[in-house]
Amino acid sequence: MENQEKIYQFWLHNLPGVGEQKIGRLLKAFGSERAVYEADEAQLGKIIDEGMARAIKLFSLKWDLQKEYEGLKEKRIEFITCKDKEYPSSLRKIKKPPYAIYCIGSLPPEKAPAVAVIGARECSEYGRRVAEAFGCRLAGRGISIISGMARGIDGIAQQAAIDGGGKTFAVLGCGVDICYPVSNRPLYEKIIDTGGGILSVFPPGSEPRKQNFPERNRIVAGLSDVLLVVEARQKSGTWITVDMALEQGKNVYAVPGRLTDRLSDGCNLLIRQGAGIALSPEDLMQELFVLINRKEIELEGNEQDSSCQEKDCTGERIADREEGVLKYLDFTPRSADELLSDMRRDGHQAELPWLLSELIDLCMEGKAGQVAGSYVRTCTKRSDVI
Amino acid sequence: MFSTVLSGAVYGIDSYLVHVEADLSPGLPCFVMVGNAGSEVKEAAERVRVALKNSGIQIPPMHIAVNISPGDIKKLGTGFDLPVAAAVLAALGKIPKDVAAEMLFLGELSLDGTLKPVRGVLPIMACASKAGIRRCIVPAENKEEAELIQEMRAAGMESLKQVIECLQLSEEDRDKAFEAQASHLGLTKERRENKEGKPDFGEIQGQEQAKQAALIAAAGFHHMLLVGPPGAGKTMLARRMPTILPPLTKEESLEVSSLYSISGRLKKGSALMTERPFLSPHHTISPQALSGGGKIPRPGVISLAHRGVLFLDELPEFKRQTLDLLRQPLEDKEIQIARSSGFFNYPADVMLVGAMNPCPCGYYPDRNRCRCTPYEIHNYLGHISGPILDRIDLCVLTHKVEINQLQSSKCGMNSDEMKERVLAARELQKERYKGTKLRFNSDLGPGDMERYCFLGSKEKEMLEKLSYTMDFSARTYHRLLKVARTIADLEGAAQIKREHLAQAVCYRPGDLFDRYKTVM
Repeated sequence: MENQEKIYQFWLHNLPGVGEQKIGRLLKAFGSERAVYEADEAQLGKIIDEGMARAIKLFSLKWDLQKEYEGLKEKRIEFITCKDKEYPSSLRKIKKPPYAIYCIGSLPPEKAPAVAVIGARECSEYGRRVAEAFGCRLAGRGISIISGMARGIDGIAQQAAIDGGGKTFAVLGCGVDICYPVSNRPLYEKIIDTGGGILSVFPPGSEPRKQNFPERNRIVAGLSDVLLVVEARQKSGTWITVDMALEQGKNVYAVPGRLTDRLSDGCNLLIRQGAGIALSPEDLMQELFVLINRKEIELEGNEQDSSCQEKDCTGERIADREEGVLKYLDFTPRSADELLSDMRRDGHQAELPWLLSELIDLCMEGKAGQVAGSYVRTCTKRSDVI
Repeated sequence: MFSTVLSGAVYGIDSYLVHVEADLSPGLPCFVMVGNAGSEVKEAAERVRVALKNSGIQIPPMHIAVNISPGDIKKLGTGFDLPVAAAVLAALGKIPKDVAAEMLFLGELSLDGTLKPVRGVLPIMACASKAGIRRCIVPAENKEEAELIQEMRAAGMESLKQVIECLQLSEEDRDKAFEAQASHLGLTKERRENKEGKPDFGEIQGQEQAKQAALIAAAGFHHMLLVGPPGAGKTMLARRMPTILPPLTKEESLEVSSLYSISGRLKKGSALMTERPFLSPHHTISPQALSGGGKIPRPGVISLAHRGVLFLDELPEFKRQTLDLLRQPLEDKEIQIARSSGFFNYPADVMLVGAMNPCPCGYYPDRNRCRCTPYEIHNYLGHISGPILDRIDLCVLTHKVEINQLQSSKCGMNSDEMKERVLAARELQKERYKGTKLRFNSDLGPGDMERYCFLGSKEKEMLEKLSYTMDFSARTYHRLLKVARTIADLEGAAQIKREHLAQAVCYRPGDLFDRYKTVM
């Protein structure tokens, strides 16, 4: 019985202190999970040390196989081991595939290409907009967006993917039943509701621990076909994911940034080291086309998305005076004073009251926005960003 | 051998007149003081006895009883020394009783009979003047202060001996002592010229938007919040606020001077406060120090800043409890302090100027330097509660000044130009609010909006659109109108126009704070 096997597998994966390696050793020695469960302390002690064997036996006493497994079902959590056929094939291909994976919602569709969009937690306004643009447009073409649902770039890209009508999959560094960070609760719910999934290799109830995250990043890299780094500092957790992806033979793309932005240092460095330069989502898609042909599927919405690229017609007809102010706005927030001094340098006879009312007009038209007392250029359509 | 003289005292900030009665009768020689006297008042007995002796007065060995009435109010302060001495002297027949009875005595005595200045002269004289008293004898250093009250003629005396001599004179000769000195009226002029080395807005380079906000705040007496990275000149800006504020009116000046007199903070030689007070307490200030405290509460910092600026630097560093205490006074413009000894209402009509960093490290939104997490930023800003923020009309972001900007000679507006504009706007407000209780645009209540902040259809439409795109509350709406009114006044416009509203929107504090909540 498959279900019978599952309860033992779940038990095995939940053993305290027993990681991927020990699971491998136990299975090799006993043949099946059931056999491991039924083995006595002495037998276990031969494979792993005796203290551990004792701990396993004690743990098993308290563990009600059937009830615990049913608990999973109640929480809508799927438990997929590498022995199941649903186990993502992309994970099978990586070195040391995880023994099991938990999932709320669905697993990434096998046939659709997947892009991991990752980046800094404390992102800039620029990073936010770029992540939104990439997330939205890639997902709109039926590409799965894989990320870690962290604050900053991760969450933003995933939110944008949902807004773009696509599917997105979050790999967590804690149990799938725990929403971390808590502030992303709405996103967590939405990911599940829109046909995406919350995935994790850690048993339900696991706390988000620091040491879990490298493994989480490995899975993010493993599940995706291409890795896109939107913003990263020179020293960043993102590098772990990048290293994992390179190890797994995945292509890494980076969004270039300005030399003066510390948050783009990581990306620029990646580019120097030979990463792909992501100038638009299309750059990534070209790379993916090869994969897609291999996967023999058609990209969804390939035809209809011309509307997305259509230029905002009213944008071309903006009055000259506004063009004047708009020209000085940027995706990084700038204060009115900075704008003023730039305009004066260029010979404009601008006065502050005039500038402020112009800025507010732009804000009302949705071409600019206020950020913490400064002003940024905004775009009504995400396609305007890149 | 009974006599009585007049004196006055301060309770809280209210002053009242007291009668000091003395009686000498045969019996065991002693000096008894009754009349709910505080410890420092009781000590007066010993001081008076010795001071009298050292002034050449022999006190006969008799039972001396001094009563200070009314007996139900606690007497505090050192101003009773002179009246007690005068009452005893009158009872002894050393000075004419009828002369002593018609004037007010106030002053502290030292053992050798010298008179020392006391607190609260101004409010006591105001109270005495109302009661119809026209003459007073005060320590020489308090003369100027006492004379601030019209109709009050004060004699400033150096010592007890001088007081006795003066009172023994014939009426005409005595009057000479009560002649007004070269008046304080000249003082204001003098001080105005003494501007060398004073801070000036002209010293601030760049920061045009912040300067503009300061101008608006000064013109409409709006509360203002300066947000920016360290070293961007927030404190510098705030410290220059007094240079552009309109001067105190006469009534305001008396009001503020009284408060300062009670606290003993009137500066020597400048009896009347002509400039608006500017107070910047350190952020470790206790709630009591801010609100006013003590068994009989002394005015706190917020009352001392009455009609002036209360500057709170590093706003989030203040204890939340301390900050939240400002809620009620900012709304009611006075602070009520309850003690077991009664309720005390102290004035607290201040312009709150706050300065703060946007995040713990201070550099947000410059992500090149700031690595604070949204959570940290949220927590940091959380130190300032919504209700306080809700009462602040203007919020402006200062930014880092580039070195080349510092080296350029252009400085924008200086204090004199700004003050001129403030005064013009102030004049317009005075005219508009004639006959009402309102003084500044910031005093406008929701009910006054329709009348004073009338909007055309175009402006209404704009506000509607703005409220939709920027999502603001009813309170924000009112604040916006008030600020727009001041901006219009600064430009001399009778009606609030589109551009005034647009500028007002830029100074909305909500923007900064809402932002972080969405970042989370």
